[in-house]
Amino acid sequence: MSDLTSTLLSLGTRQPRERRVFDAIVVGSGISGGWAAKELTERGLETVVLEAGGPIDFGGKDFTEHVQSYELKYRGWGDRNTIAKTQPIQGQCYACDEAGHKFFVNDFENPYTTPDNAPFKWFRGRQVGGRSIMWGRQVYRWSDLDFEANAKDGHGTDWPIRYKDIAPWYSHVERFIGITGAKEGLSQLPDGEFLPAMQMTVVERAARENILKKFGGERVLTIGRAAVLTQNHNGRAACHYCGPCERGCVTHSYFNSIGSTLPAAKKTGRLTLRPHSVVTEVLFDAKRGRARGVRVIDAVTMQEHIFEAKVVFLCASAIESVRLLLNSKSTRFPDGFANSSGTLGKYVMDHHYGSGAGGTFPGFLDKRTEGRRPNGIYVARFRNVTSASKDFVRGYGMQGGSSRGGWGRGSGMRGYGAAFKQSLIDDLGPWGLSVGGWGETLPYEDNTITLDPTVKDKWGVPAARINVTWRENEIAMNKDIIASGVELMEAAGCTDVRPSRTMHPPGHCIHEMGGARMAKTAKEGVLNGWNQSWDVPNLFITDGSAMASTACQNPSITYMALTARAAAHAVAELKRRSL
Amino acid sequence: MERRDFLRAAAAAAALSLVPHEAEAQAARAWATLAAPASPDLPVAPLSEAHRAIIRTVADAIIPRTDSPGANDVNVLGWIEVIAQDYYTDAERTALTTGLDAMDALSRQLTQQPLAGLAGAPLAQVMDALDAPTDRTTPAARGYSRLKGLVIHGYFTSERVQKDVLKTQIMPGRFNGAADMPTKGAGRDE
Repeated sequence: MSDLTSTLLSLGTRQPRERRVFDAIVVGSGISGGWAAKELTERGLETVVLEAGGPIDFGGKDFTEHVQSYELKYRGWGDRNTIAKTQPIQGQCYACDEAGHKFFVNDFENPYTTPDNAPFKWFRGRQVGGRSIMWGRQVYRWSDLDFEANAKDGHGTDWPIRYKDIAPWYSHVERFIGITGAKEGLSQLPDGEFLPAMQMTVVERAARENILKKFGGERVLTIGRAAVLTQNHNGRAACHYCGPCERGCVTHSYFNSIGSTLPAAKKTGRLTLRPHSVVTEVLFDAKRGRARGVRVIDAVTMQEHIFEAKVVFLCASAIESVRLLLNSKSTRFPDGFANSSGTLGKYVMDHHYGSGAGGTFPGFLDKRTEGRRPNGIYVARFRNVTSASKDFVRGYGMQGGSSRGGWGRGSGMRGYGAAFKQSLIDDLGPWGLSVGGWGETLPYEDNTITLDPTVKDKWGVPAARINVTWRENEIAMNKDIIASGVELMEAAGCTDVRPSRTMHPPGHCIHEMGGARMAKTAKEGVLNGWNQSWDVPNLFITDGSAMASTACQNPSITYMALTARAAAHAVAELKRRSL
Repeated sequence: MERRDFLRAAAAAAALSLVPHEAEAQAARAWATLAAPASPDLPVAPLSEAHRAIIRTVADAIIPRTDSPGANDVNVLGWIEVIAQDYYTDAERTALTTGLDAMDALSRQLTQQPLAGLAGAPLAQVMDALDAPTDRTTPAARGYSRLKGLVIHGYFTSERVQKDVLKTQIMPGRFNGAADMPTKGAGRDE
């Protein structure tokens, strides 16, 4: 057994005689929690990671990526009756399927509420590794177009940081986790430190050239940038192209915290990982004006424990961290922990998505794909980059891919009998190409998270009440996504182009952001430019709640970079005795 | 050896040796020695024998046995029964059985014979009417459309077809976006 494997297998086990006092507490073990754990332990801090969910078998027994359709009772259609009974909301997520639904919460144990006229889809994973197990793995750097947007058009508050502040940390993260991508030299989508790019299909290559030609280089279709290894990297094996990463990966070829950051933290000897730890409250030391620690309910025994530390990192996900802070009231902070600004729970955002277009790509019938690429194509933002739109501010990126119909097209085809059967076996049908937009959402003060006055979760913690709606800007942008999607597909060379006019409700994109935003002053936000609470200096929040705007790029790598940066800052401040 | 243990070992070997394709080859060799997983136990059938007989007849007409297995060879009916009993809502189950009854009625109207067990020219006559209906909204046309989808999905997701016909590779080890179409019988690995 390799060192890596034994390290993985040893994670998630309880300490027989439990410590309760640490240098650092990290709440959450997902994308940002794993990074906090790695950076804090590597910088010398004895760190406890408190994860509300249960342990995961790091050796892969909980992963199902190689389970084949014939091994599933419903052949991939899903156990929808069981899911309807326990996961009616989670079941609406593509990854909550017959093989992967165990990585999503039970909706009845973990309720949340919304106004009747403002649906919100909150897809949640509570286990060691959090949603880093099922995430989409797309990683795109932000640029100053994004960090300056609030200041330039007046929506939201100005970010206290710019691209130069985070760029080295993007590199730090990329070097560790391994990112596949192609350099394009676009100012609005900075290049990263990439492993070799995954191949585009013949159709995608042709589409790229046609689009470049048609739009004079303004619109660039590139291969997706993904946290998946195209070569062996940092003790992890290259992707073997089995396909469904959202079910886990026994070779840890895509980045998740249980395959990368948590093992790195464990290697330091300074990590204590405690699953089944539902953090209910951040405790305030009024005398020192600092966070003392957290109150925890053991998810299994329901016993209450107090954990104390010099520094507290909240990495529980945007809504969970805000909910926790709102539930942490004191004489000093009657409206929620570290909330002197009054902005806690406000300016909540998600990307809007679902609309786009697709078509049939003629030709290339002598070509097919081999292997199942866990990545798609990306069209970098072009709206409001060089020219202003009259209908909306900000912009969107587009993601998509191409494939041939395969046997699945048979249901819609005429025919039966031997020739029909053989055509489904031998012929893959025409190529299809499609794109969909991921649009930036503006920060609105009245898109909020509060605590529901009556509904509580299984552990007695008040449920989040989420009130987030799309507004004029998002709706106008969505219309443009449809129009430009059609335009792009036609320019690419598609025939039979069909628009997709979907606009999923907030939350559905699983990019929840805001609620404890960064700001330049203590009056305008919860956090400063180091993800550090203005009010309580030893409290750091590095998940999506810290975001002051959404950009249009998938946000996870920005969380990772901000987390690593915040951890370095926290340790430096501890050494200076400033915390 | 557990599949996962083996894969973990293969991954560790790949990471150490930096030759992923060797690991893949090792995987393929070891994979071949693993026991095939058992099929799930089928529940008590929710469909009548008359309905099952119609499904067998139509399934074999849609995907007959050739040089590769037919729909009934891979027990498509068994999977459809699982869907009908445990997956479908009452309304969907009723739609399925109503559709089967309508298809049978059409057969009796066109050939004066029940659909179950029909063969040869009479079956072709009924299948032509079902597969290219003048009106897609009739109960028979809707029932056939539903059944055809079930038959195709059940057939192509079956173990025999996945392994022996499509020759699906669970761990291809590479991605090629411009691969040539395979020669006939070489599998497709969709």
